[in-house]
Amino acid sequence: MTSLRRTTLRRQPLGLLAFLLFLISVPAWAPNRFWINVASQALIFAIFAMSLDLLLGYGGMPSFGHAAFFAAGAYGCALWALHRSPDLLPLLVIGLAAGAGLALVGALALRARGIFFLMLTLAFAQMVWSVLSNNQLAGVLGGDIGLIGVPRPVLPFLPAINLFVAANFYFLTLAVAVAVYLALAAIVASPFGRTLEGIRENEGRMQSLGTFTFRYRLAAFVIAGALAGLAGMLSASFNFSATPASAFWTTSGLAMIAVIVGGARSLVGPAVGAMLVVLLQLGLSSLPAQSLAEHWQLLLGAVFIAFVLFLPGGMVALVRGRAG
Amino acid sequence: MGRGPERRSRGPTGPPASGGGSACKLTAIEVALSAVLNGLAFGGLIFLLAAGLSVIFGLMDVLNLAHGSFYMLGAYVGLTVLGLTNNFWLALIAAPIALAILGGAVEVIFFRRIYQRGHLMQVLLTFGLTLVFVDLIRWRFGPQTHSLPTPPGLEGAVHIVGIPFASYKLFVILFATVVAAVLVVAWRKSKVGAILRAGVADREMLGLLGIDLSRVFTATFAFGAALAGLAGVVVGPYLSVYPGMDESILVLVLVVVVVGGLGSIEGAIIGSLLVGLANAIGPLVLGGFEAASIFAVMAVVLLVRPRGLLGLRQ
Amino acid sequence: MNLATASVTVRFGAVAALQDVSLEIASGERRALIGPNGAGKTTLFDVITGARRPTSGRVLLADADVTRLSTWRRARLGLARTFQRSALFPNLTVAENLALAVRVRVQAGWRIWPSRLEGKVAAEVSSRLDAAGLAALAQRRAWTLAHGEQRALEIELALASQPRLLLLDEPMAGLSGAERQAAVTRLRSLPEQVTLVLVEHDLDVVFAVAQRISVLDHGVLIADGTPAEIRADPRVQEVYLGRAD
Repeated sequence: MTSLRRTTLRRQPLGLLAFLLFLISVPAWAPNRFWINVASQALIFAIFAMSLDLLLGYGGMPSFGHAAFFAAGAYGCALWALHRSPDLLPLLVIGLAAGAGLALVGALALRARGIFFLMLTLAFAQMVWSVLSNNQLAGVLGGDIGLIGVPRPVLPFLPAINLFVAANFYFLTLAVAVAVYLALAAIVASPFGRTLEGIRENEGRMQSLGTFTFRYRLAAFVIAGALAGLAGMLSASFNFSATPASAFWTTSGLAMIAVIVGGARSLVGPAVGAMLVVLLQLGLSSLPAQSLAEHWQLLLGAVFIAFVLFLPGGMVALVRGRAG
Repeated sequence: MGRGPERRSRGPTGPPASGGGSACKLTAIEVALSAVLNGLAFGGLIFLLAAGLSVIFGLMDVLNLAHGSFYMLGAYVGLTVLGLTNNFWLALIAAPIALAILGGAVEVIFFRRIYQRGHLMQVLLTFGLTLVFVDLIRWRFGPQTHSLPTPPGLEGAVHIVGIPFASYKLFVILFATVVAAVLVVAWRKSKVGAILRAGVADREMLGLLGIDLSRVFTATFAFGAALAGLAGVVVGPYLSVYPGMDESILVLVLVVVVVGGLGSIEGAIIGSLLVGLANAIGPLVLGGFEAASIFAVMAVVLLVRPRGLLGLRQ
Repeated sequence: MNLATASVTVRFGAVAALQDVSLEIASGERRALIGPNGAGKTTLFDVITGARRPTSGRVLLADADVTRLSTWRRARLGLARTFQRSALFPNLTVAENLALAVRVRVQAGWRIWPSRLEGKVAAEVSSRLDAAGLAALAQRRAWTLAHGEQRALEIELALASQPRLLLLDEPMAGLSGAERQAAVTRLRSLPEQVTLVLVEHDLDVVFAVAQRISVLDHGVLIADGTPAEIRADPRVQEVYLGRAD
């Protein structure tokens, strides 16, 4: 019996478990609250990057509009938490639903392919951004500044656990990140995931074999959007705010850098890449060497260019010995 | 999560360095006319950027997101030259030359290696370059806004049908028109233009005709960068110079290229006029939603006629 | 499944790639489509499969007008095709390539929970790999295969959909003698009811396999008949067979 490809989850379960244990241990040895918060943000961006990997790495659909779904989740949850209640479960659902809902709207872009799809998603992101930052709508959406004063969620059944405490919120994000990883790992290993990869590799051939490819691309787009919305919800809770800047096309660009540097089509790669990007962005500022402090963009840009030129498979490819 | 403290939420044009007209008692017609002239000036500026990007995209299939960075670098080169020599016209010449050299170098060092890798990698490479450039600029010049002083002779305002309009903006309109005319003539009549047009329509054919594609690519890229640099200096006295000006203008240039058509100079002219006017008149009519509308138009064009109004490429 | 085209014309501006092409191919027939390069054979295939809309004319599969149907719907009716330049899934393994084709056929693609069908898929992939002589290459990525191996995979992908009508676009191109033999043997294994339309330049293969031959030149169908009739047809000789290759 020939074996059909196995995922990272099955190939390296011990490695992943070790990584998980490492992440769980972070609050124990992190020097102070600042670093635990950095870790939370790293995980949030990792969730966002993993959702983009489904779309880009597995689905072959690079998008500059992915951050719009992140913003949808952020704003949806911010509005709910501000005006209704901060209960966690509804917020999780709204994060997913807002992302998925906006994705259904943006799915119009799926009529295009390649570079035109890329530009359409960029246009979509900018439309969303301009609506969000529009000062005419500031009454509802907060305009330029966005929505502020968003409370942290309240856990169901365990209201005593205060999520305003950095370590507690960190564990929440970790739990969500693990859940998202497991869900995505199952999806990409499933027949649906394999068919999606076939569409990425050669859509024409898949159609010629009898696949209604649009259905798969739409599903991937919406699932990725939903998960991006979930990341947005966590971000709004973490930052106590939702801002229009999160929808700008460059946010998606940053996520794509994370995916490529980590290694597309591996889930773990993009997650690690995302964590590195956040560490670079936030961590540098606390270094004693002030001259380096604000130059994360230079470093990230240079590293990224190096990867594009010499190691397009990302760090995962390095680990796998360039087998790809 | 984002690029940093750039002025993202202020909209595409950034804070203007000098106001357009005096602030008192303008009637509706005067406001409208003023807006139209502002739109033409801005459109002229965008054209300088869109022309280069459109030809690069049409010929080389490269979506150069770093085009905005070339614009920004040109502005800062202008700032530096002006600071050293106090001569605006020298800056106007130095910037395009400097950017042509930089553009050519970027093409040779980076792009040549990744042409066969597909669109995504090229686009992402240019995105990486934008990060590097903006950081370098901020490092050297600081995050504050600069503006170039208006060159002597072009200060003040002229009165058009009684409305004061900054002389410099008129200069921008005239300058852009002259450049546009030269480019159109070169595009349609010269041998170089013929080669480029042929390349846009069918790149393989160009190779088969024995033309050295890599030289054409380098030259095209360098030329596009030079135009962007030129735009950067031109914009100095009129809008502001700050690290982040690349980001705000880039999306508008993309809209022009998409709407006007990939690989078409005439398309870039029409697109720039449309976008420039929409950007100026929009706030009066649509009250804040002009940005969304501009991008909506871009989306519609991409869906219905991806090659744009006058584009040749499929 | 029978196939018919009715006055199919394809124009690109002033150029007519196909002009008024009308064909009728009976169920289970072995038809060869020959003609010089640029005659429009691949374009005709594109029209039949739905990859290209004809400027005018109709395509009928099993007597039903499918001119407006998309490619994937025609494939679901039982139409399969190979391409002149192998259309594989480059970064996936050979086994996974075939698995995709099988999975689509048994409608097991749209699932998150792998069903029992996955076991059947894997079994069928295994037997197809053996039949196509690709078993040793099962875990290799498709883009690493040699040309002949890729062509074998290309044909097998089409066979995996168990088509009722199979279009083969120059399947033997670039194959060595042994590889050609293997491919012909594989094609011979097709059930008799499967209609076969073959575009091929190797006339030995054409005259050995085909029951009827259609000749296309500059987009026009100039002859249509049995191999003997075609061999004798002066127009065909002048246009195609008579030319020194």
